[in-house]
Amino acid sequence: MKQIAQSIRDRFLKLGIDVPVEDVESRLDELITKFKVPSNEAQRSVTNYFLKKYSIPKNEFYTRQAEPQLTKIMDISENGQWANLKAKVVQLWENTHESISQVGLLGDETGIIKFTEWKNAELPELEQGESYLLRSVVIGEYNGRFQVQLNKNTSIEKLDEAIGVGGGDFTPAARESELRNISDLSGGQWATVKGKVVQLWENSHESIEQAGLIGDPTGVVKFTNWASSELPDMEEGKSYMLRNVVVNEWGGKIQVQLNRSSSIEELDEDIKVGSSTSTYFGAMVDIQTGSGLIKRCPECKRALVKGACPEHGKVKGEYDLRIKAVLDSGTSTQDILINRELTEELAGLSLDTAIAMAADALDPGVVLDTIKHELVGRYYTVTGHKLDRYILVDSITPKTSLDKEMLDEMLALNETFTKLEVQ
Amino acid sequence: MPGFFREAARRVFAQELKDSNLTSRDESDQYAPQYVLTPTGAKVNRIFLVGTLIEKEDIGTDSEYWRGRVSDPTGSFLVYAGQYQPEAAQFLAECELPAFVAVVGKTSTYTTDDGNVLTSIRPESIQQVDELTRNLWVLDTAKQTLERIRAIEAEEDQNSKLAKEHYSTDTVYYREIVKKALESLKERD
Repeated sequence: MKQIAQSIRDRFLKLGIDVPVEDVESRLDELITKFKVPSNEAQRSVTNYFLKKYSIPKNEFYTRQAEPQLTKIMDISENGQWANLKAKVVQLWENTHESISQVGLLGDETGIIKFTEWKNAELPELEQGESYLLRSVVIGEYNGRFQVQLNKNTSIEKLDEAIGVGGGDFTPAARESELRNISDLSGGQWATVKGKVVQLWENSHESIEQAGLIGDPTGVVKFTNWASSELPDMEEGKSYMLRNVVVNEWGGKIQVQLNRSSSIEELDEDIKVGSSTSTYFGAMVDIQTGSGLIKRCPECKRALVKGACPEHGKVKGEYDLRIKAVLDSGTSTQDILINRELTEELAGLSLDTAIAMAADALDPGVVLDTIKHELVGRYYTVTGHKLDRYILVDSITPKTSLDKEMLDEMLALNETFTKLEVQ
Repeated sequence: MPGFFREAARRVFAQELKDSNLTSRDESDQYAPQYVLTPTGAKVNRIFLVGTLIEKEDIGTDSEYWRGRVSDPTGSFLVYAGQYQPEAAQFLAECELPAFVAVVGKTSTYTTDDGNVLTSIRPESIQQVDELTRNLWVLDTAKQTLERIRAIEAEEDQNSKLAKEHYSTDTVYYREIVKKALESLKERD
């Protein structure tokens, strides 16, 4: 506390004003100790109090105050700290939020740091590759990393000299991320992956160019190619090298995203997709609502709920067949999703027949009843890709015979145990 | 829905369920599921069984209330379906006897005046199935019962310990039951 008080006093001394240090300290003490104000907030509040008292314009104070001290990026160490930087704009990123005007990386001789320029700061645009003197930026912390924020009090001055950037050859193109196995991906890294597009999904949002699953011999992962990446489309079943993708974790699942810094290269080879496919054996104990004959939105292919699409409202739906079921092993349960093709096969019922049945009965529920009648209570083995709590079923096989060997084995084993007990 | 999980449907032979009289429930939560702990340590809320529907009777007074008796190689289960189980009640009303049926349901218990605990099943679903499915269930249930007996003998987990303490489980007896069930499959060759 004494230190903070002294630093406030020092700053005022530079302006030729001698504020009594005891006064500063008692004000700080009241805020910090009695009112539990964080120390940087208290510091600012006390500083502002004295500025007002001596009628010093805030802007002038902060600018003049800041002028002599330049911070090196490596020295940034405190959340909430104000700083002045001389730095080069190393990279500009995709703007992810409407309240942000620019975001990217700044670098100086000592390091590189992320910066965010808020729209309401009303500052001139920074250009990639140019160097600037940035006055009065604020250091923020996010996910354990520091970043620089440019706000209303910040001023920007373009420099003629080019600031050298530490880490030597850091340019976006020169730095290619490491080629990784899909099963080794972990959140918060950049990576390059080689894989085959296993599945492309219906596009659910206009800001997404493509989304789906890509797999390599070690596993399968969800990918999202943002429309703003301006990358070419990929085709299902073809193999690609995806360079510089961002790996992140959402809801406990790893996914990769392609942005403007990423690249896509089509490969001639056919990459084998490994079995991150799951297999599950159990009895079908439930078929859930939303199964059977359903309608989907013609726009986004989502299932309609009471004739309405959650995205597009009331639409004339397109018929489809599917099953959402639960398999149960006796010790665990597994949700599975069965597509139209497999549903038709399992229930011995084509989509057209199902539509006709529903029309006859004036109730699509008869289709669900028929499916339940055919499937519930029976034992199945399914294989497919895991997605959230579901297995997207690629194949489903009913158990068609009793395992006689297992039966004999169990009888023999049971016999031995019983004898042992009796003895 | 964090915290939500689906109860696995346990596999227990009729005789073992009939022998069960230990129920447990988290009293602090009125929506907490009720469990029956069986002598081999199965903690049952949901149950899956396949057997032969051998009797059915509408025992309701005002509205239909169906009681069905489903037998397996060791004994029989009682299944009750009324207006809150419309699909199951309709099935019982319309089906012909005897029939192989697969039942998924929740166990419920009733304690008689002299302290006996009767366990019955409130079905979520009843479907007619084939004989193969019934045999697969017997094998499945035998396997899972043997696994529980092994755990009881090893006093492996909480449920095993609790079951052994409460029932002084005679594992030889339950191995005999499993044997009986398995042998019934052999005879069908």
